[in-house]
Amino acid sequence: MKLRLLKALSRCFLRLSFFAFLISMVLFVFQVYGENLELTVGLYENPPKLFTADSGKPSGIFIDILEHIASQESWRLRYRRGTWAQCLDLLGRGEIDLMPDVAYTAERAAVFDFNKEPVLSSWFQVFARADSGIRSILDLEGKKVTVLDGSVQQAAFENLVGGFQLQVQLVPLPDYQLVFEKVAAGAADAAIVNRFYGAMNADRYGLQDTAVIFHPTALFFATPKGKHEAVLKTLDEHIRRLKREQQSVYYESLKRWTAQRVVFEIPRWIKITGLVVGGLLVLSLGGGALLKSQVNARTRELKEMNREMEARIQQRTAELAQAMEKAQEADRLKSAFLATMSHELRTPLNSIIGFTGILLQGLAGPLNDEQRKQLGIVQNSARHLLALINDVLDISKIEAGELKLSAREFDLPESLRKVFEMVLPLAQKKGLEMILVIEKDVSRVVGDQRRLEQIILDLLNNAVKFTEKGFIKVTCSADGDQYVLSVSDTGIGIKPEDLLTIFHPFRQIDTGLARKHEGTGLGLSISKKLVTMMGGTIHVASRWAEGSTFTVRFPKIQEPKHE
Amino acid sequence: MSKSLLIIEDNAQNLYMMRFLLEKKGFSVIEAVTGPEGIDKALRHRPLAILLDIQLPEIDGYTVAKELKKHDELKSIPIIAVTSYAMAGDREQILAAGATGYIEKPINPETFVEEIIQYLPK
Repeated sequence: MKLRLLKALSRCFLRLSFFAFLISMVLFVFQVYGENLELTVGLYENPPKLFTADSGKPSGIFIDILEHIASQESWRLRYRRGTWAQCLDLLGRGEIDLMPDVAYTAERAAVFDFNKEPVLSSWFQVFARADSGIRSILDLEGKKVTVLDGSVQQAAFENLVGGFQLQVQLVPLPDYQLVFEKVAAGAADAAIVNRFYGAMNADRYGLQDTAVIFHPTALFFATPKGKHEAVLKTLDEHIRRLKREQQSVYYESLKRWTAQRVVFEIPRWIKITGLVVGGLLVLSLGGGALLKSQVNARTRELKEMNREMEARIQQRTAELAQAMEKAQEADRLKSAFLATMSHELRTPLNSIIGFTGILLQGLAGPLNDEQRKQLGIVQNSARHLLALINDVLDISKIEAGELKLSAREFDLPESLRKVFEMVLPLAQKKGLEMILVIEKDVSRVVGDQRRLEQIILDLLNNAVKFTEKGFIKVTCSADGDQYVLSVSDTGIGIKPEDLLTIFHPFRQIDTGLARKHEGTGLGLSISKKLVTMMGGTIHVASRWAEGSTFTVRFPKIQEPKHE
Repeated sequence: MSKSLLIIEDNAQNLYMMRFLLEKKGFSVIEAVTGPEGIDKALRHRPLAILLDIQLPEIDGYTVAKELKKHDELKSIPIIAVTSYAMAGDREQILAAGATGYIEKPINPETFVEEIIQYLPK
């Protein structure tokens, strides 16, 4: 018995030493024929993808994978630390050879080479304080959002909020730590980070994820253009292999950094020794089955993780779609309500204006001077109120997409003279000089006469309203298949900072004369929308305290429109 | 022929205003507040012209205009639409339904009767 045991043991040892020999041979061959390349690797703080551990060692998923490959290829890695923007800059100048964690974009591809096999896929997510009330993207209106400076998510997010026509103030910061810190400290409302960083660090800052998930990205290694194509090729071969093998460093690392929070790090040599001893034990016990079940368990875990992530994305997407729908429905209801209300308001108002007119005409009997004066005031106030209601009706119709434009032929000079004469009495009362110049080439136009006259009247009314002395000049001429109409005045003008918003609704500019100038501030925004629907443009040129010129261009022949 | 005009209008204030203005100029006025009542009174009184509101309860002005034109004895009576539907397309629609003329609300008391007269048979 003893003898047989000894024999068996010696056979084991023989086999082991044979393996040891083989391994050392292989290592030797690698030592001799390996490239022995030295690579400077960029390192910035984006745990758990890559970061500096408390021990000072570079760590993270990218680092695990890269160090594994480097050890097999006998590459020597040197790390160069910096912010994300600094790293990219150094990479561009060739001072960094290899940069992990780079999302592919066309602009970057012009300056860098990328490996082909994506290392990780990620997406971006908005995080906010638990009490922030930010749940969907619509809640970000008017909020301050921190973002990594020079990153892909910065541009992607700008695009995203642009699509929703939201005003969001982006605060670019040099690193992710600050991105979360600012929000935790209340200096900003929300933060954009990638899913890995968010999942690992949000709790620590007291932040929560929101439903705003966007821009899935694949992350690669990048090198300076044309400098390390062989390195990238080698990386690809390894990454493909690592992804195929279920027990590889790749999955180990993913699981380690995403599934559990790592508090301390076991020294590498213990891990290796442990693995070797454990491996030998398992093998000698013929524990293939155990190994297999372990692999299966891990695969299951990974699959489960993946399912969870997918379910969460689906849920968030559904929530977002619902929020969008609600917002649109509310908007539509608001417009419909305004349109109905305005109509209901106009009916009694028309009655007031009509009967006041009848009384003023003396049709119901003679009036004394005081009665005539007071009824005149009633009539003017009622007309003013009607004009305001009409404005509200117009803007809500336009916003509800219910405004139609007809296309009938009419005489443009006649319309111009008609509108001009409507404002003439008021302008003359203020002592303004009124000039109307219609060029000979102005004649017929096919369009919506009523709406075109409304635009001209609005511009002229504004000119009279905001001009205290001097003149108002209206000119109209033809230019190709368009007419050009301009209304110039010598009024108070518009400050440069107000020129940008003058066509926005409710923007009657505070002139310090505010009480003198009545109006909803809707006129210009209505005119702008009408002109746009007609296929034309409206522009303003102005100097503060010197006057303004509004120029409208519109096609001579317009199509009927239903917005 | 009588000098009476038929007004089909459901709003009492509007009806009173139009009636007042027309009577001042010597017309007599027959009132109806719904489409069917209007058709019935048109057949009985054969007015000089029919002033027709478009927004009427139950049966709208377009339908009333078409119904009126179905009666041979009413075919020659001008229908003048009075409506605050001052939107593109409405004019075509009411003219297609058989109206001769079209007056927009709010009516202007100074010009209302003149506008009506121009649509009356000479």
